[in-house]
Amino acid sequence: MTLQQPVILAEMPSLSKLYVNAAAQAARRRLLGTHDSADLPAESHDVRGVTVDVGNLTAYQHLIGETASDVLPAGFIHALAFPLAMSVMNRDDFPLPLLGMIHLRNSVEQRTPLVFTDVLDMTARVENLRGHRAGTQVDVVAEVRRAGSADIHWRGVSTYLAKGLFLPGIDKPTAAAPKPEFTAPAPTALWHLGVDTGRAYAAVSGDFNPIHLSVLSAKALGMRRSIAHGMYLASRALADVGPARGDAFSWDVEFEAPVFLPCRVALEISTDQASSGAWKHSRYVAWNPRSGRRHFHGTVSAL
Amino acid sequence: MSIDGQSTPAPDESVRPAVSAPRRAVIVGGNRIPFARAGGAYAKSSNQDMLTAALDGLIARFGLQDERIGQVAAGAVLKHSRDFNLTREAVLGSALSAETPVYDLQQACATGLETVVGLANKIKLGQIDSAIAGGVDSASDAPVVVSEGLRDIILDLNRAKSLPQRLQILSRLRPKDLAPLAPGTAEPRTGLSMGEHQALTTAQWQISREAQDELALNSHRNLAAAYDSGFFDDLLTPYRGLTRDANLRADTSLEKLASLKPVFGRNLGAGATMTAGNSTPLTDGASTVLLASDDWADARDLPKLAAVVDAEAAAVDFVHGKDGLLMAPVFAVPRLLARQNLTLGDFDFFEIHEAFAATVLSTLAAWEDEEFCRTRLGLDGAFGSVDRSRLNVNGSSLAAGHPFAATGGRIVSSLAKMLHAKADAEGRPVRGLVSVCAAGGQGVVAILESV
Repeated sequence: MTLQQPVILAEMPSLSKLYVNAAAQAARRRLLGTHDSADLPAESHDVRGVTVDVGNLTAYQHLIGETASDVLPAGFIHALAFPLAMSVMNRDDFPLPLLGMIHLRNSVEQRTPLVFTDVLDMTARVENLRGHRAGTQVDVVAEVRRAGSADIHWRGVSTYLAKGLFLPGIDKPTAAAPKPEFTAPAPTALWHLGVDTGRAYAAVSGDFNPIHLSVLSAKALGMRRSIAHGMYLASRALADVGPARGDAFSWDVEFEAPVFLPCRVALEISTDQASSGAWKHSRYVAWNPRSGRRHFHGTVSAL
Repeated sequence: MSIDGQSTPAPDESVRPAVSAPRRAVIVGGNRIPFARAGGAYAKSSNQDMLTAALDGLIARFGLQDERIGQVAAGAVLKHSRDFNLTREAVLGSALSAETPVYDLQQACATGLETVVGLANKIKLGQIDSAIAGGVDSASDAPVVVSEGLRDIILDLNRAKSLPQRLQILSRLRPKDLAPLAPGTAEPRTGLSMGEHQALTTAQWQISREAQDELALNSHRNLAAAYDSGFFDDLLTPYRGLTRDANLRADTSLEKLASLKPVFGRNLGAGATMTAGNSTPLTDGASTVLLASDDWADARDLPKLAAVVDAEAAAVDFVHGKDGLLMAPVFAVPRLLARQNLTLGDFDFFEIHEAFAATVLSTLAAWEDEEFCRTRLGLDGAFGSVDRSRLNVNGSSLAAGHPFAATGGRIVSSLAKMLHAKADAEGRPVRGLVSVCAAGGQGVVAILESV
C-alpha cells in the first residue's frame, strides 16, 4: 500500500455548499445508478491555520452549559472539524450517500487542552468500511494539532450508518445479541428542550442540516418532526459531567433513538472514583421520561 | 464632648480594645483576570464566566484541585436575579471540590473587601481553616429588567385563571411598558449619579482639576510600571486575549488629561472638574483572594504574605447632603486606627480606592481639616496626612478600571504582595491600609500587616 499524500484544502470548506453538493450527488446517483464500489478514498483532507472566532466560542459555551473559559470544549472542536470531515464524505469516490446517514456513535480523545488563541491544523479521513445489520457503516477520523506541530491534541472518530445500503463484498454481520432491556434509573437531571433547540445549535456549530431546523424542513426529508443534533446532546452531557473530567479525557457516546423536538430528556450521570478518591470516569444515560426509551448513553474517562 | 458627627474613641482607657483573636488569618495570594473596558473583550462573558476564570487561575496557582475549601464568598453588584447563587455556581464549575460551601455577598463596591473581612474573621475564630474571597462585575452583560407596568401584568397573568381574565389583564399593556430598563449608577433616594454626588463633594472640598488629573496620571504611570516590572505576573491569569488591564493608558499625560471635557457637575459651571480621565470607567472583571490559617498554609507549603489585622465599616447620611456619598471611609479609618492604637504615620502603604480622583483627594483633605476632624470626627485636631509617596504605589482603579465587586480583591492581593516584599527587603513588619467607598454612603476599611 502506498502512502497517500493528503489533499490540502485552502480553507475550511463551507458546510452549506457541501450539503447542496451532497443533495446534487444523491440525485445524480439516483439517475445514473450507484457505482457500487466498496473502496474508501485513501486520501485524507487537511486544512491548516484554522482560527477560532471567540464570539462564536462564547455563544457555543453558553448554549451547552459550559463556563465561557478560554479552553475549547471537546464538542466545539468537533464542530470546528465537522466541515472538513464532511468534505471527505462528499467526495465522488466516497461509496456511501452523505445525506441521510445516521450518526451511530462518537468517540473523542481530548489529549491536551487547546485554547481559543491556538491556530489549528486539522486532518480528516474515512476508514473501516464495514457491514451493519441495517446497512453499511464507516468511521470518519478527525485529528487536530497546533499549527506546525505533529502532536495530536484532539482526535475524534464518528461512526455513521448508511441505512438500507449494502455494498458488494461487505458482509452483513450476523445479528447481534439482543440488547438487555433498558429500565430507566432515577434521573439526576432533566433537560427541557424547546422546539428551537436545533436552530440554536445550528447557529453555534454551523451544522444547518434541515432535519434539525424545523418541522417542515425535517418532514421534507422524511422525519416526522425535527430532531436535536446528536453532538448537541452529547456535548451537554459532557458539560454536565463537569470540571471533574480535568484537562485530558476520552468522551464516548452511542446514539440509540432520535430526540424529537420539543421534548424533555431525563438523564442519569454516575461517577466512579478510584480508591484514592480521584475521579476515574462518569457514565451518562439519557432517555425519554414518558416512553422510557433510551436516547443515548456514553462515558467520560480520565486519559 | 458633643459633636455633630461620628465620634472617634480617644486613644486612652475609653478605647474599646481590639479583642485579640485566637489565631491569625493570612493572605496566601490572589488571582484576577485583567480588567476590560465595558463592551470590550469580556462583553459576552457573564459574571459566572469571569468569576470562574479568576477562580480557576487561583486553583491552578496554589494547587487547589479537588480541595474542599472552608468557605468561598464572593458577589457582584450588577447581578441578575437568576444568579442568586452566583458564587456557588462558579465553584461548581471550577476544579474545587463540589463539597465546598459558599455564600454570595453584596455591599456595593465594598463587596470584595467585605468578603475578605468576613472570611478572615471566620478563620480567626477557628470556624474554618481556608477561604476564598472574591468579587466580579460586568457592566457589559448587565441585567436588564422589564418595566414595572409589564412586570405587574406578567405576574397578574400568571395568577389569572380564565381567558377573559387574561384578556382583561393584557388590555392594560401600554407601549411604554415594553421599554426595558437598564441598570444605572443613580442613587435611588437622590436620583443623582455617583459622579454627580462626588461632584458636590469635590466642590465642597475645593479639589482642583489639576490635582485630580495629577492623581489620575500617577495611577496610570504606577500601574504601567508595575506591569513592566512583572509585579502582576503571579496575580493575574489572561482571559479572552487580555493580558493587561484594557483601561491602562501608559502614554497618557497631563496635557491629554487636561484636554478632556468635564462630565460630572456641569451645572456647577466653571467649578466642573471631573472628566472621563479622572473618573473610573465602567469595567468588566473578577478577582479572588486565598485566605488561610497559618497551619493550613504551612501544611500545604503555601506562601503567607500578610495577615488581615482588623477592619471597620462606616456609613454616612448623604441623602440630604450632610456628608458626601463616598465619604464613609473618612469616618471608618479614624475609628479603626484608634482601636488598633495606630496613626496614619504607622503605615507603609495606603490603598485608597480611586472611584474618582476627587474621592481620594476629598478623603485626604477631610483628614487634614482641623475643623472637620474636631466637629465631625470628635478628634482634638486634624486626623493627619497621608504620605503621598505611599499612596496607591502600583496604580489603582483610575488606571486598572473598577469592576465594582472585583476591586476589593484586586487591592487586597496586590497590597499583601507589596507588604511581603517590603518586609522581606527591610527585615521589619510593615503595615498597609485599605479603604473602599461604596454606593449608599457606605465604606469598608481594613489593616493588613506583613507576615
